[in-house]
Amino acid sequence: MDAFAFLRRRTFLKLGVAGLAGLGVAGGGLVALRGSALAVGGLGVLDAHRFRTLLAIAEAQLPVEGAGAGAVCDRLARLFDGFLQGEHEENVGDLKTALLLVEYGPVIFERRLTTFSNLVPDQRRRHWRGWMESELAVRRQVSLAFRKFFHAVFFDDPAVWPQIGYPGPSLWGMPKEGATP
Amino acid sequence: MSAGAILDLSQDPRQSDRTVDVLVIGSGCAGATAARALARAGREVLVLEEGGDFTGEKLTQRDGRMYDQLYMDRSGRMTSDLSMSVLQGRVLGGSAVINASDVVPVSDELLRFWQKKYGLTDYGPEQLEPYRQRALADLRSSRIGDDQINRANRLLMEGAAKVGAKGEVMLNNRVGCRGLGTCLIGCPIGAKQNPRWVAIPEAVEAGATFLCRARAVRIEDGGAELKRVAVRVLDADGYHEVDGFTVKARVVILAANAIGSTHLALRSGLGNAHVGSNLSLQPQLGVVARFKEEVIPYRGIPQAFAVTEGERFDDERGLWGYRIEAIMGTPGIISALLPRVGPDVMTAMAAYNRIAASLVLVPDEPSGTVGVTKGGRVRIDYQHKDNHKERLREGAKLAARCYLAAGAYEVEIPTNHPVYVRSERDLAMIDAIPFDPCSAPLMSAHQQGGLRMAASEKDGACAPNGLLYGTRDVYCFDSGLYPSSSSSHTQAPILSTAHYLVERLLAKS
Repeated sequence: MDAFAFLRRRTFLKLGVAGLAGLGVAGGGLVALRGSALAVGGLGVLDAHRFRTLLAIAEAQLPVEGAGAGAVCDRLARLFDGFLQGEHEENVGDLKTALLLVEYGPVIFERRLTTFSNLVPDQRRRHWRGWMESELAVRRQVSLAFRKFFHAVFFDDPAVWPQIGYPGPSLWGMPKEGATP
Repeated sequence: MSAGAILDLSQDPRQSDRTVDVLVIGSGCAGATAARALARAGREVLVLEEGGDFTGEKLTQRDGRMYDQLYMDRSGRMTSDLSMSVLQGRVLGGSAVINASDVVPVSDELLRFWQKKYGLTDYGPEQLEPYRQRALADLRSSRIGDDQINRANRLLMEGAAKVGAKGEVMLNNRVGCRGLGTCLIGCPIGAKQNPRWVAIPEAVEAGATFLCRARAVRIEDGGAELKRVAVRVLDADGYHEVDGFTVKARVVILAANAIGSTHLALRSGLGNAHVGSNLSLQPQLGVVARFKEEVIPYRGIPQAFAVTEGERFDDERGLWGYRIEAIMGTPGIISALLPRVGPDVMTAMAAYNRIAASLVLVPDEPSGTVGVTKGGRVRIDYQHKDNHKERLREGAKLAARCYLAAGAYEVEIPTNHPVYVRSERDLAMIDAIPFDPCSAPLMSAHQQGGLRMAASEKDGACAPNGLLYGTRDVYCFDSGLYPSSSSSHTQAPILSTAHYLVERLLAKS
């Protein structure tokens, strides 16, 4: 998962400084904008703030709504955190940078005094769509990297398959004998 | 001669240092072919494979686990600007385990081009012919039968016929195929005649030993007769290094894919200034067509028919033009291809049973580099040239015309602002696709170059016999050697050149 390596070029720093300068926000102001995140147990790599951002991305990207949506996104975000435990530290660092960039996306790219996790769901989804359609390559890159991961695991769930008419792998339910030459 | 073995080192990580005649790094088409020939010739051969051994029920036909385990970097390997997904196998048997089982041998025309342009006088059609035949024999190559062509491929075929575009049913390396449809995440019934079922068992029988979950991290050449190779043992999932040992070998053969072999040479400080340059990625663009009728594209052979109308040969640049091939993937991959957010994802995927997809493949000029990050990881930089983009547009237009002629009500080029083609009038929109970085679903499945062979050290990283210039008996036998795109599918060319190179090595020693 070296999908965030492009952020090593100090893109975040450059974009961040430009965005924040426009708003006259810095240091403690940033922390205040982000607010506090509830403690989350069982995480291996991410802290509560970054996990909250990841969860918010999952909720914006995936086609889940209603009562069970939170649980689905929580499961997939935890899976992501689990994957990070096996990742090279360079990759983990890049991913953390990407999450920070998304969290402050409304500040940097839309000059709003709020952060991604604090947007209401409809606004968050609109903002997240803006990443995919952006003229800035870095935003498209972040959008694509998260989309690839979340879609691969979301659509791997047999509970989702009936919604798209997919009956599942062709060998499911077939006799196991003779399966290997 | 005693039989060798396939060992999973994650189950027995504490390994002693050892000395062998030949160490092969990588177990795919090149590595397995070399190991078999060398073991048969009586050499003590050890093969290192970073991935695991996946066969039968371990190939679950599911997105998550299989893309995580069978592909390099959990299938997340990309060019540094994220413009292109770089698909590369990481499993015993190599990328041939996860390819679409297409057989496109290297052509006479291409070999003559290499002779003329790159001075590879030893690579004439006559010299390579016996090895091309051996490759086809290894692959049990045959033409896909008419009764094996699924609806998605047939729609592309019918559309091509209606618009007057040339095409062909492809050669493949399947025996006993039951059309399970998940070739890209391995064949659980072993129908693919890839190294896992052909060269590797034969190499083991001849005495070669294959070590899975074993990552080579550094080669120390130093001009010595015995090279020292540092090896890390990985855990069962292949993502943590748990132990290590050293292998000393008289000969080291790099066969870890164009990118893997180049990366290892760079990390080891081996070779000349050409190491890492001249990388071809052969970009491929996804195109999705939607039909009112059911297509059920995920059953049957996913890639059976190719539109070859746009293929041509350029005297200056070799393999050129474009090619359109049907393809299909499991839901996770197809959905990731489509630029959608929230409920729109499900709206698009609701048509999963009624889509047909294809890839526009463009043989490129070598315009990429392989490098090493500060942390020692692979870095792939790639310059997406205007002529690549132009040919992708031409290919996408022809693919759209074929699908419309076959009855599609809509064809999507899934760029970040998707282009929908619903009639011939809409085709002009494809001309406006800029292919800016990370704006289109581009992928590479056939990496070549990085260790380009050349008659002189001034012009390339390796000699025509695979020897890495500046080393003593460190060779490259894989597609890293190729000076330009060898074919639209590299499996057969890699097998051919590996047969050729190992025979030359044996003749020398």
